[in-house]
Amino acid sequence: MPRDIEAEVVVIGGGPAGMAAAHSAWEQGAKSVFLLEREKYLGGILNQCIHPGFGLQVFGEELTGPEYASRYIEKLGKTGVQVMTETAVLDLEPSRTIRTVCPRGVHEFHARSVILSMGCREKTRGMIMIPGTRPAGIYTAGLAQYLVNIEGYLPGRKVVILGSGDIGLIMARRLSLEGVTVEAVVEVRNSLSGLVRNYVQCLLDFDLPLLLSHTVTGIVGKERLEGVLVSQVDERWHPVPGTERFLECDTLLLSVGLIPENEISQKAGISLSPISRGPYVDETFATDVDGFYACGNVASVFDLVDYVTFVSQKAGEAAASHRPRGKVRFVLQVGVGTGLVIPQRIRNIEEGILFIRPSQGFRETQIIFRKRDEVFARKKTPICRPSEMIRIDIPSIPWPPEGGEVTIEITGNPIQGI
Amino acid sequence: MKKRYDVIILGGGVVGCAVAWYLSHFECSILVLEKELDVCCGISKANTGIIHSRSYYTPETMKGELHLRSLPWFHQAQDELDFHLARTGALTVALSPDDLAYLRLLQERGQCPEAEILGPKDTQELEPNISENMVAAYYDPQTAVISPFRLTLALAEGAVLNGVDFVFNVPVIDFHSDDRGIGIETETETDYYVAHWVVNSTGFSAPALAEKCGDGVPPLQAYRGEYYVLDKETRGYVKHVLYPVPTSLSKGILVSPTPEGNILVGPNFEPVKPGDTSTTVQGLAEVKIGAQKLVHHLPFDRTIQIFAGIRSVLPERDFHIFFSHRFSNIVHLCGIESPGLTASFGIAEYVGELLEKRGLNLVHKAHFNLRKNAPIFSECSWEERERLITQDPDWGRLVCRCEEVTLAEVKRALFVPPSARTIDGLKRRTRVTAGRCQGSFCEMHLLSTMIALLGFSENDIRKSGIHSHCLVGETREERESYATRH
Ligand SMILES: Cc1cc2nc3c(=O)[nH]c(=O)nc-3n(C[C@H](O)[C@H](O)[C@H](O)COP(=O)(O)OP(=O)(O)OC[C@H]3O[C@@H](n4cnc5c(N)ncnc54)[C@H](O)[C@@H]3O)c2cc1C
Ligand SMILES: Cc1cc2nc3c(=O)[nH]c(=O)nc-3n(C[C@H](O)[C@H](O)[C@H](O)COP(=O)(O)OP(=O)(O)OC[C@H]3O[C@@H](n4cnc5c(N)ncnc54)[C@H](O)[C@@H]3O)c2cc1C
Repeated sequence: MPRDIEAEVVVIGGGPAGMAAAHSAWEQGAKSVFLLEREKYLGGILNQCIHPGFGLQVFGEELTGPEYASRYIEKLGKTGVQVMTETAVLDLEPSRTIRTVCPRGVHEFHARSVILSMGCREKTRGMIMIPGTRPAGIYTAGLAQYLVNIEGYLPGRKVVILGSGDIGLIMARRLSLEGVTVEAVVEVRNSLSGLVRNYVQCLLDFDLPLLLSHTVTGIVGKERLEGVLVSQVDERWHPVPGTERFLECDTLLLSVGLIPENEISQKAGISLSPISRGPYVDETFATDVDGFYACGNVASVFDLVDYVTFVSQKAGEAAASHRPRGKVRFVLQVGVGTGLVIPQRIRNIEEGILFIRPSQGFRETQIIFRKRDEVFARKKTPICRPSEMIRIDIPSIPWPPEGGEVTIEITGNPIQGI
Repeated sequence: MKKRYDVIILGGGVVGCAVAWYLSHFECSILVLEKELDVCCGISKANTGIIHSRSYYTPETMKGELHLRSLPWFHQAQDELDFHLARTGALTVALSPDDLAYLRLLQERGQCPEAEILGPKDTQELEPNISENMVAAYYDPQTAVISPFRLTLALAEGAVLNGVDFVFNVPVIDFHSDDRGIGIETETETDYYVAHWVVNSTGFSAPALAEKCGDGVPPLQAYRGEYYVLDKETRGYVKHVLYPVPTSLSKGILVSPTPEGNILVGPNFEPVKPGDTSTTVQGLAEVKIGAQKLVHHLPFDRTIQIFAGIRSVLPERDFHIFFSHRFSNIVHLCGIESPGLTASFGIAEYVGELLEKRGLNLVHKAHFNLRKNAPIFSECSWEERERLITQDPDWGRLVCRCEEVTLAEVKRALFVPPSARTIDGLKRRTRVTAGRCQGSFCEMHLLSTMIALLGFSENDIRKSGIHSHCLVGETREERESYATRH
């Protein structure tokens, strides 16, 4: 029979989000805090990100992913948080019952608060339905990163990367350093998806070609990949007939998007936003089911680990305080020019940060807050890009007193190219 | 070196494995020669996985006869093979009043008291997402779905337990008369095999091998069928196998639940060059349109994989099972198209009778070993899970998060013969890499487990075929540290 454990706070997933949430919950005074992680080590995705670029905002210095993780592991060591690794959560009930397996057996936790921090997964070839054969040599960029950085294996010698997101760009550099030929980074948009910093440091510095407004339209090769078909696309991302050409390669890396991992959240009856694909959350990252919080990439894909840490601290504090939740006062919707906003609910306008992702790059940007026809706030920023979330302090906005549904729009001069 | 067997079976598809398992009930020595690295790498790996009920057999054909003959085996063989069959039932959907005659024909053929023709209201009750254009449907409770991999593996494991040998990576290329029987020449092995009886169940290659014996067979035509696999999240959106009214060429584009809880959509019917298993934009679009005629708003945005299978079809659209003229003890199985999976037991029994006519003595073994399925962790109760973990902590080590597969299951797949030696081999046995992340979270653990437990180097890690290497070498750091260690 499952062994029962009573807990004040249970955190599911030991990446940067889970570690920060567990730490803050403990600091806030929670008596029994459990941090459950499926893998053998804490750290989540950070462990495979051996490049620098983490922690400028949280620790005030530039760290690698593993360094960032070990700082937090050290901090946790000074608390009474009980860490259980090799422990996978398989089942979750709205009553905050959590069932896990680990090599020591099955456990059933009964928690007052549950914090979801399971991170996200990568989109695959099947999901984006690239036609063709099914040979070896097709990897998601994150898997390739793990193989290279953690296991020390090379997935191929000549690679095409689909998607100009940060993981794709970082892998282009990493493989070049290993002597692998990067034939091209292919991007369906007419602009870069990742950070400009990564474009400069990973592609330009290594003289690697970026093909904007292009996509992979076919996979060729019987047993191992022999090449891909690449076509130009129009504004609606449809391949332009007659532009298809063959690029020889033995490896295709896909860096085509991340999806929050919410299969177990749904078992608890938590509703998900079709936009973020994570739970609807408020400014403390509370979900719509009592006692459940969601932070980090499981809530919405964040671009910086520092932001993940900030929001997770907030969730940890709220989960440990067990404050009764007020009513939802504002429901935020994405309008023209906006790709995503998180949180999507506001209960208390006195705290928290809004993270807004533009749907494309703009110069001379205005962020417009509208309630029906009435614009009640405008914020300006010189430049914005889909790769970098805009942050606005919730208390800095003159929210209308009576609450309601608010639409957030972004306007400006569209950026084309890099 | 010469190796002698009473019976040698060429090809480890569902049919070859069924023949091997069936004959392993009797006192004779049996070998299966397979050109790939595993069983179930040919036509048997990519199909709809439906055990078509009696309603859907084709009268007055060999395939119809063997189809009917096979059906009782799916009950009978349960105890001996322990495979999982999901009896979902089926609805054949009439979209116009003209289709009603066909539904009545099915009912007549089915001879099943619980089967009935339903009006729109009753159909919608059974299948709420069915198309509003449906005018009636034939409900058949006997149709079932099965994992074609798991059936083939159950047969192969059962055969091994009863003394059958399997040799992989041996494409058969020619036959000779030998003083003691038929000599079989292979491409990669220095070994030479001799048998009294040979069963050529090499799927697509069967006519070419028949040709080598001087037996003319009309050329096979390849027809490709493309599919979508939808995420398990869509479980329940469709509960029964949904058939359209068929065309003269095929059963048409179906929507079907799988035993694991995904939804499978397809296949179309497109003539192609043999071996062309690529998916295409046009083919996938055709499948989508076809499926949408049966079901409303099918959640294609929850697609996790696309694939294609190839039918090997003779012009007469029937199985062609016959003895060679030159080598009187070779039986060729050509044109084993749909419903070859359903008919596999029937084919095996029939092949046994043919061999008996040519002198094979079918004497039952005194003892026959039952094949037992290992527990499937994702389907176990929490009590069972606790019990398993107490026996072996590897049952508590989750390797695949999407399909909830444990290290214990992966180890079993690596060690129970015929054992997995490739990533796809592990997939077919345990469902690792078959879920929504398609291996992006577990492939690294699979590689390192194979390296640690099988003594593989990175060059031995393959996706499926002999040339399908997953890795090409080590990183600089890894090579340098190796150099300093030695
Ligand atoms: C390739 C790559 C490069 C990046 N580069 C940078 C960069 O340069 N700078 C920067 O600031 N940020 C970078 N990031 C972003 C940053 O790493 C992520 O935003 C951050 O790791 C997300 O943290 P998380 O805790 O939400 O998720 P994760 O790190 O994914 O952690 C989730 C954890 O939950 C565990 N888990 C999931 N489900 C369960 C379950 N059911 N039971 C138990 N445990 C479970 C997982 O095993 C995992 O350990 C990068 C991200 C990636 C993928
Ligand atoms: C799209 C599609 C959908 C289908 N749907 C269904 C369905 O729903 N229900 C149903 O009942 N049936 C269905 N079928 C039919 C069924 O899949 C086949 O009839 C069956 O799998 C054929 O099995 P096989 O063992 O004859 O062929 P295969 O599985 O192809 O086995 C032949 C084996 O021989 C090996 N081989 C080839 N050449 C050599 C050589 N020279 N030496 C040694 N080995 C060799 C191959 O590698 C292969 O493993 C479908 C078929 C297709 C294509």
